[in-house]
Amino acid sequence: MQLIDSIQKLKTFVFSLHPLSDVEWNDFASIWQQGEAKRKTILTAKGETEKTLYFITEGVQRAYYLTAEDKEATIVFTYPFSFSGVADSFLTQTPSLYFFETLTQSSFLKTSHSKVMELLDQYPNFERFISRATAFTLKGALERQVELQTFSAEQKFTTLLTRSPQVLRLIPHKYLASYLGIDAATFSKLLSTVRV
Amino acid sequence: MTSYNRDTLIENLLDQTEIILKKAIEWQLIPHSTFALRPTSESWSANECLQHLNSYGRFYLPAIESVLSRSEKTESSTQFSPGWLGNYFTKLMMTPADGIVSKKMNSPKDHAPKTIIESPMVISEFIDQQEKLLALLSTAKKVDLNKVKVGISIAPFIKLKLGDVFSFVIAHQVRHVLQAQRALVNTGVVEEKLKVISLMSLD
Repeated sequence: MQLIDSIQKLKTFVFSLHPLSDVEWNDFASIWQQGEAKRKTILTAKGETEKTLYFITEGVQRAYYLTAEDKEATIVFTYPFSFSGVADSFLTQTPSLYFFETLTQSSFLKTSHSKVMELLDQYPNFERFISRATAFTLKGALERQVELQTFSAEQKFTTLLTRSPQVLRLIPHKYLASYLGIDAATFSKLLSTVRV
Repeated sequence: MTSYNRDTLIENLLDQTEIILKKAIEWQLIPHSTFALRPTSESWSANECLQHLNSYGRFYLPAIESVLSRSEKTESSTQFSPGWLGNYFTKLMMTPADGIVSKKMNSPKDHAPKTIIESPMVISEFIDQQEKLLALLSTAKKVDLNKVKVGISIAPFIKLKLGDVFSFVIAHQVRHVLQAQRALVNTGVVEEKLKVISLMSLD
Protein backbone atom coordinates (compact mmCIF):
# COMPACT_ATOMS: atom_id res chain seq x y z
CA MET A 1 0.00 0.00 0.00
CA GLN A 2 1.28 3.46 -0.92
CA LEU A 3 2.00 5.95 1.85
CA ILE A 4 -0.82 8.19 0.66
CA ASP A 5 -3.34 5.31 0.86
CA SER A 6 -2.14 4.31 4.32
CA ILE A 7 -2.50 7.91 5.51
CA GLN A 8 -6.04 7.98 4.09
CA LYS A 9 -6.88 4.81 6.05
CA LEU A 10 -5.41 6.43 9.15
CA LYS A 11 -7.57 9.50 8.59
CA THR A 12 -10.74 7.41 8.28
CA PHE A 13 -9.83 5.55 11.46
CA VAL A 14 -8.96 8.69 13.44
CA PHE A 15 -12.02 10.64 12.35
CA SER A 16 -14.36 7.78 13.22
CA LEU A 17 -13.06 8.07 16.79
CA HIS A 18 -12.82 11.84 17.08
CA PRO A 19 -12.70 14.48 14.31
CA LEU A 20 -9.64 16.75 14.16
CA SER A 21 -9.36 20.22 12.61
CA ASP A 22 -7.46 20.55 9.30
CA VAL A 23 -4.40 21.96 11.05
CA GLU A 24 -4.38 19.21 13.70
CA TRP A 25 -4.85 16.49 11.12
CA ASN A 26 -2.11 17.86 8.83
CA ASP A 27 0.36 17.96 11.71
CA PHE A 28 -0.63 14.47 12.83
CA ALA A 29 -0.44 13.07 9.28
CA SER A 30 3.10 14.39 8.89
CA ILE A 31 4.67 12.46 11.79
CA TRP A 32 4.30 8.97 10.26
CA GLN A 33 6.66 6.86 8.23
CA GLN A 34 6.16 3.49 6.56
CA GLY A 35 7.60 0.26 7.85
CA GLU A 36 7.31 -3.47 7.35
CA ALA A 37 8.38 -6.69 9.05
CA LYS A 38 8.53 -10.35 8.12
CA ARG A 39 6.59 -13.09 9.89
CA LYS A 40 7.59 -13.73 13.54
CA THR A 41 9.61 -10.54 14.00
CA ILE A 42 9.72 -9.31 17.58
CA LEU A 43 9.04 -5.58 17.44
CA THR A 44 9.09 -4.96 21.20
CA ALA A 45 10.65 -7.32 23.74
CA LYS A 46 9.70 -7.70 27.40
CA GLY A 47 11.59 -5.14 29.49
CA GLU A 48 11.88 -2.58 26.70
CA THR A 49 9.84 0.60 26.90
CA GLU A 50 7.52 1.02 23.92
CA LYS A 51 8.67 4.10 21.99
CA THR A 52 6.64 3.41 18.85
CA LEU A 53 2.99 3.78 17.96
CA TYR A 54 1.96 1.65 14.97
CA PHE A 55 -0.96 1.95 12.61
CA ILE A 56 -1.35 -1.46 10.96
CA THR A 57 -2.10 -1.58 7.23
CA GLU A 58 -1.34 -5.25 6.56
CA GLY A 59 -0.94 -8.50 8.50
CA VAL A 60 -1.66 -9.89 11.97
CA GLN A 61 0.34 -9.16 15.13
CA ARG A 62 0.06 -10.19 18.75
CA ALA A 63 1.25 -9.24 22.22
CA TYR A 64 2.02 -12.18 24.49
CA TYR A 65 3.13 -12.80 28.02
CA LEU A 66 5.84 -15.37 28.70
CA THR A 67 5.35 -17.27 31.97
CA ALA A 68 8.14 -18.44 34.27
CA GLU A 69 7.66 -21.91 32.75
CA ASP A 70 8.24 -20.48 29.22
CA LYS A 71 4.56 -20.80 28.33
CA GLU A 72 3.19 -18.13 26.01
CA ALA A 73 -0.15 -16.48 26.74
CA THR A 74 -1.51 -14.42 23.86
CA ILE A 75 -3.00 -11.22 25.28
CA VAL A 76 -4.18 -9.37 22.19
CA PHE A 77 -4.20 -9.57 18.38
CA THR A 78 -4.06 -6.56 16.11
CA TYR A 79 -5.07 -6.29 12.45
CA PRO A 80 -5.63 -3.58 9.84
CA PHE A 81 -6.72 -0.87 10.22
CA SER A 82 -5.98 0.04 13.81
CA PHE A 83 -3.30 1.25 16.19
CA SER A 84 -0.87 -1.28 17.55
CA GLY A 85 2.16 -1.70 19.81
CA VAL A 86 2.30 -2.33 23.57
CA ALA A 87 -0.32 0.27 24.49
CA ASP A 88 0.22 0.42 28.25
CA SER A 89 4.01 0.67 27.94
CA PHE A 90 3.64 3.37 25.28
CA LEU A 91 1.22 5.46 27.33
CA THR A 92 3.01 5.09 30.68
CA GLN A 93 6.58 4.89 29.33
CA THR A 94 7.33 2.01 31.69
CA PRO A 95 8.98 -1.28 30.65
CA SER A 96 6.75 -3.67 28.73
CA LEU A 97 5.61 -6.88 30.43
CA TYR A 98 4.86 -8.33 27.02
CA PHE A 99 6.48 -9.31 23.75
CA PHE A 100 4.96 -7.73 20.67
CA GLU A 101 5.53 -9.66 17.43
CA THR A 102 4.25 -10.10 13.88
CA LEU A 103 2.39 -13.34 13.13
CA THR A 104 2.37 -12.73 9.37
CA GLN A 105 4.28 -10.46 7.03
CA SER A 106 3.14 -6.99 8.15
CA SER A 107 3.08 -3.42 6.88
CA PHE A 108 2.38 -0.38 9.00
CA LEU A 109 2.84 3.29 9.62
CA LYS A 110 4.89 4.16 12.68
CA THR A 111 5.63 7.21 14.76
CA SER A 112 7.41 7.93 18.03
CA HIS A 113 6.20 8.64 21.54
CA SER A 114 7.95 12.03 21.59
CA LYS A 115 6.21 13.20 18.39
CA VAL A 116 2.81 12.19 19.75
CA MET A 117 3.62 14.04 23.00
CA GLU A 118 4.47 17.22 21.09
CA LEU A 119 1.05 17.21 19.46
CA LEU A 120 -0.60 16.49 22.81
CA ASP A 121 1.12 19.58 24.25
CA GLN A 122 0.14 21.68 21.29
CA TYR A 123 -3.54 20.82 20.76
CA PRO A 124 -6.14 20.20 23.49
CA ASN A 125 -8.40 18.61 20.87
CA PHE A 126 -5.65 16.14 20.01
CA GLU A 127 -5.44 15.20 23.67
CA ARG A 128 -9.20 14.51 23.57
CA PHE A 129 -8.65 12.24 20.58
CA ILE A 130 -5.98 10.21 22.41
CA SER A 131 -8.15 10.01 25.51
CA ARG A 132 -11.05 8.69 23.44
CA ALA A 133 -8.85 6.12 21.70
CA THR A 134 -7.55 4.97 25.10
CA ALA A 135 -11.10 4.80 26.49
CA PHE A 136 -12.20 2.45 23.70
CA THR A 137 -9.15 0.29 24.26
CA LEU A 138 -10.11 0.06 27.94
CA LYS A 139 -13.68 -0.81 27.00
CA GLY A 140 -12.41 -3.62 24.77
CA ALA A 141 -10.05 -4.94 27.47
CA LEU A 142 -12.84 -5.10 30.08
CA GLU A 143 -15.25 -6.84 27.69
CA ARG A 144 -12.57 -9.42 26.98
CA GLN A 145 -12.07 -9.92 30.72
CA VAL A 146 -15.78 -10.76 31.02
CA GLU A 147 -15.56 -13.21 28.12
CA LEU A 148 -12.55 -14.94 29.63
CA GLN A 149 -14.25 -15.35 33.01
CA THR A 150 -17.80 -16.23 32.02
CA PHE A 151 -17.86 -17.72 28.50
CA SER A 152 -17.68 -21.43 27.71
CA ALA A 153 -14.96 -22.58 25.30
CA GLU A 154 -17.60 -22.80 22.57
CA GLN A 155 -18.91 -19.29 23.24
CA LYS A 156 -15.37 -17.87 23.17
CA PHE A 157 -14.69 -19.68 19.92
CA THR A 158 -17.90 -18.45 18.28
CA THR A 159 -17.39 -14.88 19.50
CA LEU A 160 -13.85 -14.70 18.10
CA LEU A 161 -14.83 -16.15 14.76
CA THR A 162 -17.86 -13.93 14.40
CA ARG A 163 -15.70 -10.90 15.14
CA SER A 164 -12.64 -11.87 13.08
CA PRO A 165 -13.37 -14.85 10.81
CA GLN A 166 -10.38 -14.11 8.54
CA VAL A 167 -7.80 -15.05 11.20
CA LEU A 168 -8.55 -18.77 10.80
CA ARG A 169 -6.94 -18.72 7.37
CA LEU A 170 -4.06 -16.42 8.29
CA ILE A 171 -2.34 -17.66 11.43
CA PRO A 172 -1.50 -20.93 13.18
CA HIS A 173 -4.44 -21.99 15.34
CA LYS A 174 -2.27 -22.45 18.45
CA TYR A 175 -2.22 -18.64 18.78
CA LEU A 176 -6.02 -18.49 18.64
CA ALA A 177 -6.30 -21.27 21.23
CA SER A 178 -3.82 -19.43 23.46
CA TYR A 179 -5.79 -16.17 23.09
CA LEU A 180 -9.01 -17.92 24.14
CA GLY A 181 -7.29 -19.74 26.99
CA ILE A 182 -8.29 -23.20 25.69
CA ASP A 183 -5.98 -26.03 24.68
CA ALA A 184 -5.13 -26.82 21.07
CA ALA A 185 -7.06 -30.12 21.04
CA THR A 186 -10.23 -28.40 22.28
CA PHE A 187 -9.76 -25.76 19.62
CA SER A 188 -9.53 -28.23 16.74
CA LYS A 189 -12.52 -30.16 18.11
CA LEU A 190 -14.55 -26.94 18.12
CA LEU A 191 -13.36 -26.15 14.60
CA SER A 192 -14.67 -29.46 13.32
CA THR A 193 -18.01 -29.32 15.16
CA VAL A 194 -19.10 -25.69 15.51
CA ARG A 195 -20.69 -23.93 12.55
CA VAL A 196 -20.10 -20.19 12.62
CA MET B 1 30.85 -25.08 -8.74
CA THR B 2 28.50 -22.12 -8.29
CA SER B 3 28.86 -20.11 -5.14
CA TYR B 4 26.03 -18.15 -3.60
CA ASN B 5 25.90 -14.91 -1.68
CA ARG B 6 24.99 -15.97 1.87
CA ASP B 7 22.24 -13.41 2.42
CA THR B 8 20.68 -14.05 -1.00
CA LEU B 9 20.64 -17.79 -0.36
CA ILE B 10 19.08 -17.37 3.09
CA GLU B 11 16.48 -14.88 1.84
CA ASN B 12 15.53 -17.36 -0.88
CA LEU B 13 15.21 -20.19 1.67
CA LEU B 14 13.18 -17.92 3.97
CA ASP B 15 10.83 -17.14 1.08
CA GLN B 16 10.35 -20.84 0.26
CA THR B 17 9.69 -21.65 3.92
CA GLU B 18 7.19 -18.78 4.10
CA ILE B 19 5.27 -20.21 1.11
CA ILE B 20 5.24 -23.68 2.69
CA LEU B 21 4.09 -22.27 6.03
CA LYS B 22 1.28 -20.25 4.44
CA LYS B 23 0.07 -23.41 2.74
CA ALA B 24 0.12 -25.35 6.03
CA ILE B 25 -1.84 -22.56 7.74
CA GLU B 26 -4.57 -22.87 5.09
CA TRP B 27 -4.59 -26.64 5.53
CA GLN B 28 -5.63 -26.21 9.16
CA LEU B 29 -9.17 -25.71 7.83
CA ILE B 30 -9.37 -29.05 6.02
CA PRO B 31 -11.19 -31.77 8.01
CA HIS B 32 -9.16 -34.79 9.10
CA SER B 33 -11.37 -37.18 7.09
CA THR B 34 -10.26 -35.43 3.89
CA PHE B 35 -6.69 -34.57 4.84
CA ALA B 36 -5.96 -38.21 5.67
CA LEU B 37 -7.52 -39.53 2.47
CA ARG B 38 -5.21 -41.41 0.09
CA PRO B 39 -5.73 -40.54 -3.59
CA THR B 40 -4.89 -44.18 -4.44
CA SER B 41 -4.17 -47.13 -2.17
CA GLU B 42 -0.49 -46.86 -3.11
CA SER B 43 0.12 -43.14 -2.60
CA TRP B 44 0.39 -41.08 0.55
CA SER B 45 -2.31 -38.79 1.85
CA ALA B 46 -1.45 -35.16 2.64
CA ASN B 47 -1.41 -36.24 6.30
CA GLU B 48 1.24 -38.88 5.58
CA CYS B 49 3.37 -36.45 3.56
CA LEU B 50 3.50 -34.07 6.52
CA GLN B 51 4.15 -36.90 8.99
CA HIS B 52 7.11 -37.87 6.84
CA LEU B 53 8.45 -34.29 6.87
CA ASN B 54 7.84 -34.00 10.61
CA SER B 55 9.99 -37.03 11.25
CA TYR B 56 12.91 -35.39 9.39
CA GLY B 57 12.29 -32.08 11.13
CA ARG B 58 12.51 -33.82 14.50
CA PHE B 59 16.03 -34.84 13.55
CA TYR B 60 17.37 -31.83 11.64
CA LEU B 61 15.92 -28.87 13.51
CA PRO B 62 17.44 -29.74 16.92
CA ALA B 63 20.70 -30.73 15.18
CA ILE B 64 20.89 -27.36 13.40
CA GLU B 65 19.89 -25.46 16.53
CA SER B 66 22.60 -27.18 18.52
CA VAL B 67 25.42 -26.41 16.04
CA LEU B 68 24.20 -22.84 15.64
CA SER B 69 24.29 -22.22 19.37
CA ARG B 70 27.93 -23.38 19.44
CA SER B 71 29.14 -21.58 16.32
CA GLU B 72 31.13 -18.42 16.10
CA LYS B 73 29.24 -15.35 14.92
CA THR B 74 30.87 -13.68 11.96
CA GLU B 75 30.06 -10.82 9.63
CA SER B 76 32.55 -11.99 7.02
CA SER B 77 32.48 -14.94 4.58
CA THR B 78 29.48 -13.73 2.66
CA GLN B 79 29.81 -16.43 0.00
CA PHE B 80 28.63 -20.01 0.29
CA SER B 81 29.91 -22.82 -1.96
CA PRO B 82 27.93 -26.08 -1.82
CA GLY B 83 29.95 -29.22 -1.09
CA TRP B 84 29.76 -31.97 -3.72
CA LEU B 85 27.73 -34.39 -1.60
CA GLY B 86 25.48 -31.70 -0.19
CA ASN B 87 24.84 -30.34 -3.64
CA TYR B 88 24.05 -33.84 -4.87
CA PHE B 89 21.41 -34.27 -2.13
CA THR B 90 19.85 -30.88 -2.88
CA LYS B 91 19.66 -31.58 -6.61
CA LEU B 92 18.18 -35.00 -5.89
CA MET B 93 15.40 -33.47 -3.76
CA MET B 94 14.76 -30.49 -5.93
CA THR B 95 11.47 -30.07 -7.78
CA PRO B 96 11.57 -28.92 -11.43
CA ALA B 97 10.20 -25.45 -12.18
CA ASP B 98 6.93 -26.90 -13.53
CA GLY B 99 6.33 -28.54 -10.15
CA ILE B 100 6.00 -32.05 -11.60
CA VAL B 101 8.18 -34.56 -9.80
CA SER B 102 9.29 -37.05 -12.42
CA LYS B 103 11.61 -39.33 -10.51
CA LYS B 104 9.85 -41.41 -7.92
CA MET B 105 11.96 -42.00 -4.82
CA ASN B 106 11.43 -44.45 -2.04
CA SER B 107 11.62 -42.92 1.41
CA PRO B 108 13.72 -44.67 4.05
CA LYS B 109 11.60 -46.99 6.22
CA ASP B 110 12.41 -45.09 9.44
CA HIS B 111 10.76 -41.99 8.06
CA ALA B 112 7.68 -43.57 6.51
CA PRO B 113 4.43 -42.81 8.37
CA LYS B 114 3.20 -45.87 10.25
CA THR B 115 -0.04 -44.94 11.93
CA ILE B 116 -2.87 -42.51 11.43
CA ILE B 117 -2.37 -39.42 13.55
CA GLU B 118 -5.11 -36.80 13.81
CA SER B 119 -4.47 -34.18 11.12
CA PRO B 120 -4.66 -31.13 13.44
CA MET B 121 -1.77 -32.58 15.47
CA VAL B 122 0.27 -33.38 12.37
CA ILE B 123 -0.31 -29.94 10.81
CA SER B 124 0.36 -28.19 14.11
CA GLU B 125 3.73 -29.92 14.53
CA PHE B 126 4.60 -29.10 10.92
CA ILE B 127 3.72 -25.42 11.47
CA ASP B 128 5.85 -25.31 14.65
CA GLN B 129 8.74 -26.75 12.67
CA GLN B 130 8.38 -24.12 9.93
CA GLU B 131 8.36 -21.31 12.49
CA LYS B 132 11.46 -22.82 14.06
CA LEU B 133 13.10 -23.09 10.66
CA LEU B 134 12.43 -19.39 9.96
CA ALA B 135 14.13 -18.50 13.25
CA LEU B 136 17.12 -20.78 12.56
CA LEU B 137 17.55 -19.34 9.05
CA SER B 138 17.59 -15.82 10.49
CA THR B 139 20.21 -16.82 13.07
CA ALA B 140 22.27 -18.43 10.30
CA LYS B 141 22.73 -15.00 8.67
CA LYS B 142 25.46 -14.46 11.25
CA VAL B 143 27.52 -17.64 10.74
CA ASP B 144 29.76 -19.10 8.05
CA LEU B 145 27.55 -21.52 6.10
CA ASN B 146 30.69 -23.32 4.85
CA LYS B 147 32.40 -23.92 8.19
CA VAL B 148 29.41 -24.90 10.33
CA LYS B 149 28.69 -28.61 9.81
CA VAL B 150 25.71 -30.86 10.59
CA GLY B 151 25.61 -34.69 10.66
CA ILE B 152 23.02 -36.24 8.29
CA SER B 153 20.13 -38.47 9.39
CA ILE B 154 21.04 -41.65 7.46
CA ALA B 155 24.71 -41.53 8.61
CA PRO B 156 25.41 -39.06 11.44
CA PHE B 157 29.19 -39.42 11.02
CA ILE B 158 28.86 -37.77 7.59
CA LYS B 159 28.85 -34.05 8.20
CA LEU B 160 27.63 -31.55 5.63
CA LYS B 161 27.92 -27.78 5.40
CA LEU B 162 25.05 -25.96 7.10
CA GLY B 163 24.21 -24.20 3.81
CA ASP B 164 23.76 -27.60 2.13
CA VAL B 165 21.67 -28.98 4.98
CA PHE B 166 19.27 -26.01 4.86
CA SER B 167 19.08 -26.30 1.07
CA PHE B 168 18.24 -29.99 0.90
CA VAL B 169 15.93 -29.99 3.92
CA ILE B 170 13.89 -27.20 2.31
CA ALA B 171 14.02 -28.78 -1.17
CA HIS B 172 12.79 -32.01 0.44
CA GLN B 173 9.94 -30.12 2.10
CA VAL B 174 8.92 -28.44 -1.15
CA ARG B 175 8.86 -31.86 -2.80
CA HIS B 176 6.51 -33.42 -0.26
CA VAL B 177 4.35 -30.34 0.23
CA LEU B 178 3.73 -30.44 -3.51
CA GLN B 179 2.95 -34.13 -3.18
CA ALA B 180 0.49 -33.33 -0.37
CA GLN B 181 -1.04 -30.62 -2.50
CA ARG B 182 -1.45 -33.09 -5.37
CA ALA B 183 -3.06 -35.61 -3.04
CA LEU B 184 -5.59 -32.95 -2.00
CA VAL B 185 -6.23 -32.00 -5.63
CA ASN B 186 -6.70 -35.65 -6.61
CA THR B 187 -9.13 -36.24 -3.77
CA GLY B 188 -11.01 -33.17 -4.95
CA VAL B 189 -10.40 -30.85 -2.00
CA VAL B 190 -8.10 -28.17 -3.35
CA GLU B 191 -7.69 -26.84 -6.85
CA GLU B 192 -4.97 -24.22 -6.80
CA LYS B 193 -1.30 -25.08 -7.33
CA LEU B 194 1.49 -24.28 -4.95
CA LYS B 195 3.85 -21.72 -6.32
CA VAL B 196 7.34 -23.20 -6.48
CA ILE B 197 10.39 -21.09 -6.06
CA SER B 198 13.37 -22.88 -7.46
CA LEU B 199 16.81 -22.56 -5.96
CA MET B 200 17.91 -22.10 -9.55
CA SER B 201 16.43 -18.63 -9.61
CA LEU B 202 19.48 -17.52 -7.62
CA ASP B 203 21.84 -17.75 -10.56
